[in-house]
Amino acid sequence: MALGSSTTEGSGASSPEKTYPAVLQEELKRRLPDTDVRVINKGVGGQSAYDMLLRMDADAIEPRPSLVIWQTVVNDAIRHVGEEKLAKILRKGISKVGEAGIDLVMMDLQWLPREDRYPKYDDYRAVLKNTAAEHGVSVFPRYAMMKSWARSKQFTEQELVGMDGLHMVDASYRCLAVRLADGIASALTGAKPEMAETSKPTN
Amino acid sequence: MHASRFGHFLMFGRPDASVPQLVPAQRDLRIDIIRGLALLIIFINHMPGHVLAGFTPHNFGFSDAADAFVLLAGISATLAYGGLIERKGLRTGTLKILARLRTLYLAHLAVFLLVCAIVATAVTRTQNPLYFEALNVQPFFADLTQGVLRALALSYQPNFLDILPLYIVLLALLPVLYLAVRFSPALALAFSAALWQTASLTGLNLPNAAGAGWYFNPFAWQFLFCLGIVIGRMAQLGLSAPLLRGLDLLAAGFVVFALLVKTASGNPLGIAALDDWIFHIQIGADKTNLGAGRVLHVMALAWLLIRLLPRESGLLRLQALKPLAAMGRHSLEIFCAGTVLSIIGQIVLVETSHALGPQLLVAALGGIILMGLGMFLTWYQSFKRRAPAGSAPASGLPAQLS
Repeated sequence: MALGSSTTEGSGASSPEKTYPAVLQEELKRRLPDTDVRVINKGVGGQSAYDMLLRMDADAIEPRPSLVIWQTVVNDAIRHVGEEKLAKILRKGISKVGEAGIDLVMMDLQWLPREDRYPKYDDYRAVLKNTAAEHGVSVFPRYAMMKSWARSKQFTEQELVGMDGLHMVDASYRCLAVRLADGIASALTGAKPEMAETSKPTN
Repeated sequence: MHASRFGHFLMFGRPDASVPQLVPAQRDLRIDIIRGLALLIIFINHMPGHVLAGFTPHNFGFSDAADAFVLLAGISATLAYGGLIERKGLRTGTLKILARLRTLYLAHLAVFLLVCAIVATAVTRTQNPLYFEALNVQPFFADLTQGVLRALALSYQPNFLDILPLYIVLLALLPVLYLAVRFSPALALAFSAALWQTASLTGLNLPNAAGAGWYFNPFAWQFLFCLGIVIGRMAQLGLSAPLLRGLDLLAAGFVVFALLVKTASGNPLGIAALDDWIFHIQIGADKTNLGAGRVLHVMALAWLLIRLLPRESGLLRLQALKPLAAMGRHSLEIFCAGTVLSIIGQIVLVETSHALGPQLLVAALGGIILMGLGMFLTWYQSFKRRAPAGSAPASGLPAQLS
């Protein structure tokens, strides 16, 4: 169950098949041919962590998925909801999923080309990281990945985040999904994936 | 007013068995000033992360400027359109309301379009698409065909552009609500409260493509508007607040209680059963369906204000309050201008990395513009009144031209 805001919904993707949850499903099916894998997209653009907490029961828990991938915090960071409040909201959400006995992976915020616009961006990232760590929940290190893609010059900035400078576009949604698929498949099969660190909180 | 007369009013819409007499309508400066202040606060609050937003009322109590604004909207709509219905009849009153609804609707669309244009310009100039995100206009631009239709149907409300749609619905309800309050305030409030609680319990709301429903759920917020109509009706009949000293203490106590709960970092009461309720209040999540704490809080504040600040108070005539009163008198124009200015302010704040200097400059400039606009509109109104169309200066011109 992919719970999240615009990154999950697929802002900037050229079609619904190019969003990260759709690609993730294809990649998982390829890696786990004997398993019936479905990835359901529960992304709603513009939502804060609290907005998602409100629909968490209906969208992420009642359908009883095996895994919830929760992508959040960017809208809290740009709206300055307050770090203490955010930590409380995340704690509630993480506990909810945990109490339902469902595995959870949190997805880190995106890397921004010009971060000084939001001086507290790193503080909000830290809230996500620390709250997840408190509960022993893995954080998928999207920020670090995007940053290294940008540094490696494998992609132009345009390919990475699109003309809008923020939303990942097809190429990077694809990379994101492939990395996630590697991590999930390896966790399930015990096989060592090429990028073992992606399933663990590395940053 | 004696409490028993107040009780009679609540039941039957009049203080005693005789036919109620309307007092001649006069401007209540308290309404104008508080409305002006609420508009200024909304302008600041609509710039998230602004240093001054840490000092606005929502930090210190359950209700905030929006609650005060809706309550005052109920009061002043009653004084304006209720008075008209009494003098000229229901048809004339309703037609006037329809004309006002048209103005409000067009104003909302104009602000919507202007804000979209500002955000689109900002995103293309700065390459920072988080501006789309901050206003939640990404889905609008992603699907313009649907977006335009939904904008026209008020079923697409970007962040910060959600108060006018609420007011449009509330004003449209005014004739019905006003007649109900006129018949029996208690009965009207009971129906209104039932609808409010139904909405709150079942999630009944109008659709919003940019979110789960309207951010200000009109099925819930109509209750506050209805309370405003009752207060407005009392003012219309010249009824003063009943002398209830116990209520003074209760109201003051509640305001202090709200302050403690809101500013505490956890649950200050230590009662585990209240944990969830306090969490929601501290997050500010009781807004969409108008949490009961908000209603009690704004009513407590209104009660204290009515008791402490009489209508004739000299304080209200202070020169320093003139700009606020002028803003409050032209609240639609000021609200629209404030919304557009706050969106521009948000962008300026982000582009200057939230440095303190630009923040204060934005607040000061915005405040000056809004006050200046209020004063100008007040002056313009009196200017038009002094020189009505067709009289001296205007009619002189065509004669010379011909």
